[in-house]
Amino acid sequence: MSLPSDLAATIALIGNPNAGKTTLFNALTGENQRVGNYSGVTVEVKAGTFFTPHGRKLRVLDLPGCYSLRAGSPDERVAVAALAGELPGEPRPDLVVCVVDASNLERHLQLVLQVVELGLPCVLALNMIDVAERSGLRLDPAKLADALGLPVVALQASAGKGVLELKQALRFPLPHAVAARWLAPGVAPETARRDFINRLCELAARRPEAHQLTVSDRADGVLLHPLYGWVFFLGILLAGFWAIFGLARIPMGWIELGQGALGAWVRSLLAQGDLRSLLVDGVIGGVGGVVMFLPQIALLFLFIGLLESTGYMARAAYLMDGVMARAGLSGKAFLPLFSSYACAIPGVMATRTIHSAKERLVTIFVAPWMSCSARLPVYLLIVPLLLHEDEGSWKQPLVLFGIYTLGTLSAFVVARVLRGRLGPDATAAHFLLEMPPYRLPQWRYIMRHVLERAWAFVQKAGTLILGLSILLWALSTYPKSSGADGAEKLAHSAMGRMGVVLEPLVRPLGFDGRIGTAILTSFSAREVFNASLAILFRVEGAGDDQAQRGMLRAQLAAAKWPDGRPLFTPLAMISLLVFYIYALQCLPTVAVVARESGSWRWALGQLGFMTAFAWCASLLIYQGGRLLGLG
Amino acid sequence: MKFAAPKVLEMDTAMTLNQAGVGCDLRIHVLSGPGCERLRELGFCEQSQVRKLAGGRNLICSVCGTRLAISRELAEQVLVKAAG
Repeated sequence: MSLPSDLAATIALIGNPNAGKTTLFNALTGENQRVGNYSGVTVEVKAGTFFTPHGRKLRVLDLPGCYSLRAGSPDERVAVAALAGELPGEPRPDLVVCVVDASNLERHLQLVLQVVELGLPCVLALNMIDVAERSGLRLDPAKLADALGLPVVALQASAGKGVLELKQALRFPLPHAVAARWLAPGVAPETARRDFINRLCELAARRPEAHQLTVSDRADGVLLHPLYGWVFFLGILLAGFWAIFGLARIPMGWIELGQGALGAWVRSLLAQGDLRSLLVDGVIGGVGGVVMFLPQIALLFLFIGLLESTGYMARAAYLMDGVMARAGLSGKAFLPLFSSYACAIPGVMATRTIHSAKERLVTIFVAPWMSCSARLPVYLLIVPLLLHEDEGSWKQPLVLFGIYTLGTLSAFVVARVLRGRLGPDATAAHFLLEMPPYRLPQWRYIMRHVLERAWAFVQKAGTLILGLSILLWALSTYPKSSGADGAEKLAHSAMGRMGVVLEPLVRPLGFDGRIGTAILTSFSAREVFNASLAILFRVEGAGDDQAQRGMLRAQLAAAKWPDGRPLFTPLAMISLLVFYIYALQCLPTVAVVARESGSWRWALGQLGFMTAFAWCASLLIYQGGRLLGLG
Repeated sequence: MKFAAPKVLEMDTAMTLNQAGVGCDLRIHVLSGPGCERLRELGFCEQSQVRKLAGGRNLICSVCGTRLAISRELAEQVLVKAAG
């Protein structure tokens, strides 16, 4: 552990979006922050430390990308505040490393000049030097350094080239701040900067010939084509969907087998009793019902990581702009909403790149209706039951696609209504998006990111869900009754009594007290629903389990109301699915929304609206269906 | 009055980025409008070369080696001339 006193200095990395600041940050500190080939992946300030070749410890801040210090969007304001030393707990940086894309100096130097004008000492890092050289640009770092008065280091952060040279340039004593020699009395700073950059680029960054058609240009000719572009877009989405719901079956089968074997092994070791019941029904059954979905969640993050890393995400945003406009949003809302399919929390944070404040609020509001990965386990449990079949038929992906579409379309309708009510912005924000060149995916970072997310999921299963499973097991076991009948035992337990209280609230939706209890527990995390059902329904036909989920499904199918009617009728299951599509059962999301929107009212309003909407929609489905004679 | 004629002609050949044909190499003549500050930050400056790569609801242009998608409203604020 290090004390602040042994830190020699604080260094900030700043640059335009997608200049490779985070890649450089990771290369310097050996950390694993998320990088993407899409502007606005970094929306927060991240800090790390590294050592110079002389053994000095430096603290480095990775700032969100910004085009200028004028600070239009929330993530840009964070960067500007960090440079001014106005962030709580962060000193004013002693040195700024301006990261620029070497193939794009004309544009990126604008920001560098503004930083120099602030009077902060600077080092210029010419990143992606390989891309620049391949495009035929003739760069002269020595001339640049001379003209600007700054140390200039050429590097290729993605391959780790030049990182050592950069560390050398950061040795003590740190460079001094230099005078902004382009500023002249009587000339507007913008004009002065522009003229200076034009002269500088002619001198030190000569382009071979204007506008050579690059590989990316040619690829865009197809991928952004009004017709073929959409064919590719839908093809990519369907391929992703297929991988998540089809390909993931294989590793999921292994987990299922391992779990069945583990249950049987524990069963053979322990005598009948409370401990065996706790381990088999509570721990293995509860946690297992959630861990099962690890492969699908990993694949979802891999898919989104690939889209971001290759640069396709920006194209998707461009294509979707027209569609999003119908919902009163712009293409910029596409990435946040799309990320919300994985998890609403990073999705809500990604809205920081949206310039229009009102569009951002609306995007935050509807993001939780993009069905997140935590809802998948619930869908995957119920959908095969609804179709009366085992997993793996072609109809299930269709139903799942319908579920995702319903959530998305509802979100668009609500967004449109809400956007209309909020009125136009004070200053019009137009659609403006950089299309980064296509790059090969940075596999190392993507895989590390996927592993991190998968590990977080396993940790959650091992801590929160394990704890809740044990708690649920205890609540459904104690106090014990003398009766031998399982249903009677449950009715006597604390959980059974809770269910009686909840039943009037959920009965109009077609659920009994047990489902009501499971829904209530899923407010801690949606996946817990499966664990709760596994524990609550173990009383009916508890046999040796080989395939845990299959067995749970068999138990659910056999579950009945006290008067003998089946509990999980198709109508009740549809009502349950609809409830899960719309309910915002995720307290961490509420906390993040409150922080990002800066208003607890907005967050609690969203929670109340979505819960009420879910309840009403389920009620409508169930009661409407019964009136039509379907139930 | 005699000297004014060439200047008028020059203004006539300027067009907005929306009017320019796809695939044309252009030079930015004037930026005017509320969005021009943002455009300048992104490299749309007077005298820089632009190629319009795609039209439609949003345009795609290549400026200083970067591709940018900009809305029609913004493109309306960019006056360009054919690069000669």
